[in-house]
Amino acid sequence: MATLLEVKDLRTEFHTQDGVVHAVNGVSFTIDEGETLGLVGESGCGKSVSVLSVMRLIPQPPGKIPSGQVLFQGRDLLRVDDEEIRSVRGHKIAMVFQDPMTSLNPVLTIGTQISEALELHLGMSKEQARKRSAELLKMVGIPEAERRLDDYPHQFSGGMRQRVMIAMALSCSPQLLIADEPTTALDVTIQAQIVDIVKRLKHDLGMAIIWITHDLGVIAGLADRINVMYAGFVVETAPNKEIFANPLHPYTLGLLGSIPRLDESRKAKLTPIEGLPPDLIEMPKGCPFYDRCVFRADQCANENPALELAAVRHSVACWNWQDVQKKRGAYLSARA
Amino acid sequence: MTASISVSMRSDGFTRHARSPEARLLSRLARNLPALLGAMVVLAVVIVAIFAPVIARYPYDQTNLDAIEQAPSAAHWFGTDALGRDMFSRIVWGARSAVFVIVMVTLLGLALGVPLGAAAGYFGGWVDTLVMRVADILFAFPGLLFVFFIAATIKPGIVAWARSIGLTDLARSGYLDYAVVIFALGVVGWAGLARLVRGQVLAVREREFVLSAQAIGVPTWKVIARHILPNALAPVIVSISMGMGDIALSEGYLSFLGIGLQPPTPSWGNILADNAGRYWRTFPQMIWLVLIPGVVLAAVVFAFNFLGDGLNEALNPEISP
Repeated sequence: MATLLEVKDLRTEFHTQDGVVHAVNGVSFTIDEGETLGLVGESGCGKSVSVLSVMRLIPQPPGKIPSGQVLFQGRDLLRVDDEEIRSVRGHKIAMVFQDPMTSLNPVLTIGTQISEALELHLGMSKEQARKRSAELLKMVGIPEAERRLDDYPHQFSGGMRQRVMIAMALSCSPQLLIADEPTTALDVTIQAQIVDIVKRLKHDLGMAIIWITHDLGVIAGLADRINVMYAGFVVETAPNKEIFANPLHPYTLGLLGSIPRLDESRKAKLTPIEGLPPDLIEMPKGCPFYDRCVFRADQCANENPALELAAVRHSVACWNWQDVQKKRGAYLSARA
Repeated sequence: MTASISVSMRSDGFTRHARSPEARLLSRLARNLPALLGAMVVLAVVIVAIFAPVIARYPYDQTNLDAIEQAPSAAHWFGTDALGRDMFSRIVWGARSAVFVIVMVTLLGLALGVPLGAAAGYFGGWVDTLVMRVADILFAFPGLLFVFFIAATIKPGIVAWARSIGLTDLARSGYLDYAVVIFALGVVGWAGLARLVRGQVLAVREREFVLSAQAIGVPTWKVIARHILPNALAPVIVSISMGMGDIALSEGYLSFLGIGLQPPTPSWGNILADNAGRYWRTFPQMIWLVLIPGVVLAAVVFAFNFLGDGLNEALNPEISP
C-alpha cells in the first residue's frame, strides 16, 4: 500500500507563563492508504495535540511547532500557506471530535452545518448540498434524514449527534479521517454503534483512519496498527494483535494490566500504574516513564531511549525491553 | 416564569417538533407585561415617526401669533407654544427626529463596535490591545461630557466647511445638526458594544464547534461571522435595546443644551428647552409646555429599558426568576 501520511520528528510546544510545555516531542509515524492507526495513551500524553498539529489547528501563539514534517500527498502540511491547508481540512483530512454535545454549532441547523463543507470544497449549490447531506445522514443511520436536516443540534441525542459529526467529516470523502476520542463521551452501547458505523464506512469508502483513544478495548477491534504514546513520545508501535500478544514497553504493559478482563476471577485486583506522568515543562533527562517504571535500571535515569526495532514491524523505546519480555508474565499474573 | 416545554411525543418516540428559537423568544417576551408595553410604545413611536406628515395636523414650523401659548384643546391637542406653533405636530415630528437619530447612532455603533470587538476578541494580540485601549480612552471620559465636547467643537467647523464648498443650503438646513449629533453619539457609543462583543467572542471562540468549523476548512472571516458572532449575539441585542433609550435621552440632552438639533427642527429636547423659560415665568400655569414633551421622552426611554429587560430575560430564561 502506498503511504498516505508521513509524520517526521514532529514537535509541538506551548509557550505559557509557567514555561514551555513540551506536548509532543519528536513523534514520527506513517499511515498507508486505507490503514487504521490507533493512538493510545492517557490524558495529556500528546495524542490530540499531535493530530491537531497535523491539521495545523494548534492556536499559535501560544502553540509552536519548532520542527517536524507532515508529508501528505507530497506536500509538507506544516509549510503550505493558509489557503492550501484550508483546502485540505475537511476535504482530504477530516476530523471528528470527542464531545458531540459541544462540537455542533447550536444556532445552525444540522443541514446547514453538513452542507458547509460540501459548498466550500466541492462547490455544490445549496440544493445539491442539501440532497447530499440527506444521503450522508442516511449513511450514518439517522432515520427520516430528509426532515431532520432542518433540526437544530439540541434536538438530537448524544449518539445521534456523533453520527452527524461523522456525516459531516465524511461529506467530502476524505482520504484520512481523524477521530479524536469519538466514543469517550458516549454510553457504552452507543460507543459500540459508533464503532460499527465507522468500521462499515471504512469498508465502504476505504479511507485511512487515525483513531485516538485511551481505551484499548475500543481500539482492539478496529486498528491495524497501534501507537502507544507517553509524555509526548511514541513509546511503542506495533500491529494490533502484536501489541496485545507481545507488549514490550513497561507502559503498554501497565495499560494492559489496568484493564478488567471477563475471563478472570471477580476477586482479581487491577494493577494500576503508580505515580503521575512527568511535568511537561521540566522534562526528565532520561526516560519519561522512569519514575513509574517497575523495570527501571540506572541507565534509564540518564538516557532517553529511542524507538528500536524489537520484532517484525514492532518498535519500542525502552532500554530493557528484553527484560520486560521475560518478566511480563509475572507482572500480569500478579493481579490474579 | 414557567418554562415552556414545547415538545410533543409522537407515536414512534421521536420528539417532534420544537419551535424555532425566534418563536420561543417572542412567546417568552409576550408573557412579560412591562416588556410587552415597552415594545408597544416603541412600535407606536416608530409608526408615528414614519407617518409624521400624515399624523401631524399642522406644519411643525407654522407659527400662529393669534394663538400663542394656548392650553390643550380640540384644535391643538397638546396646546401651542410661545410662537403659536402646534405642539402636537411638533411632538410628532420630534418622534421622527428621535427615531432617525436612534437608528443611525445604533447602526454606526454596530458598524464600528461589532467588527472591532470581534477582531479584538478573536485575534487577540496587538489588535486587541489597540482596539481596547482606544475604547478605554473613550470610557475614561464621563460619557455625555465627551459627547458634548465633540458636538460643540466640530459643528462650527463642519458648517464652515459646507459653506466653503458651496453647500450653503445644506449649511443652513438642519441636516448637518443630525450629522453632528449622530457622529458624536456613535463615536462614543461603539466602545461599550465593542467591549461586550469582545468578551462574548473570547468565550465563544473556545467552544468546540469553532475548532470543528476550522477543521472543516471554513475561512477565518466565515468562522467569525457564521459560527462565533451568532452565538455571541444575545447580550448584544439586550445592550442595543437598552442603549436605544440612552441614545434618545442623550439626543434630548444635546438638543436641550442647544448643541444638538436646532429649532425649528423639532426635537423633544429642544421643544423642552424652548418652552422651559416660558413655563418658569408663569409657573405653574403652562405646565403642558414642558410636561408633554418630558413625559413623551421619558416614556420612550423607559420603554426601551423595559424592552431590553424583557429581552434579557427571554434570551436567558435560566437566570430569570
